Amino acid sequence: MEDINAAVAAEAGKLSVTVEFYQSNTEGELVTFIQQCRGRVQGILLNAGAYTHYSVALRDAISAAQVPTVEAHISNIYKREAFRHISVIAPVCIGQICGFGAFSYIVGLRALIEERLDPWLV
Amino acid sequence: MKKNFLVISGPNLNLLGTRKTSIYGEGSLEDIHRSLQQRAEELNVGVECRQFNAEGAIVDCLQEAPGRFDGVIINAGALAHYSYTLRSAIGATLLPCIEVFISNVYAREEEFRHKSVIAPVCVGVISGFGKKSYLLALDALVNLTEV
Repeated sequence: MEDINAAVAAEAGKLSVTVEFYQSNTEGELVTFIQQCRGRVQGILLNAGAYTHYSVALRDAISAAQVPTVEAHISNIYKREAFRHISVIAPVCIGQICGFGAFSYIVGLRALIEERLDPWLV
Repeated sequence: MKKNFLVISGPNLNLLGTRKTSIYGEGSLEDIHRSLQQRAEELNVGVECRQFNAEGAIVDCLQEAPGRFDGVIINAGALAHYSYTLRSAIGATLLPCIEVFISNVYAREEEFRHKSVIAPVCVGVISGFGKKSYLLALDALVNLTEV
């Protein structure tokens, strides 16, 4: 995790943005943290781990935060167990990136930043 | 040696910019291809961009890819959701393949778009970022084949 965070921080430096990191094993703490992102950050890069597949609470928190959120996964979740093929948070995220190991986070950060510069997106 | 990547877009993607622009955006596929060529130059790799409406033509193209390309980016369009033929063809190339979608397919209303039958034979999936989905996939493919 520290290695990934260091790589993301380095990429953020290149892209002239600042990032902060948060990890929790507790669903409720993630909910609280995401709620507190509202109006405070310009984007969220989220790897919700297994919560991805069943946490409607997290989905509601993302939706309520009104912050553009990108979903990232280290593994290709579609190669794994059937229950991992469904993400309940995907519909409230801008988009999803999965399967590129730690590089999924880098791609996610680029997506989040460049997304707002893309005149294609409505 | 300079890496070379194949970018395939499937049925109806030739209509980009003219159809359902609220979902797919205003730009054309040619705009995407131009942006890919530009990013490829920056990354010092080659890209060849193709579009096919015919499933069989994509299969032919994929079958010819090994030895010519080091990886594939594919936006299979609607075929993503049901073409086992495409899935087999991707698997048979033995090349790293990244699946991309312009829209966030998981956020769309039609449930049939929530499942991709080709995702399991791809390295990974990028969806939802407009034309940037393709550019991000190129970044990922370069990173993947560098290591």
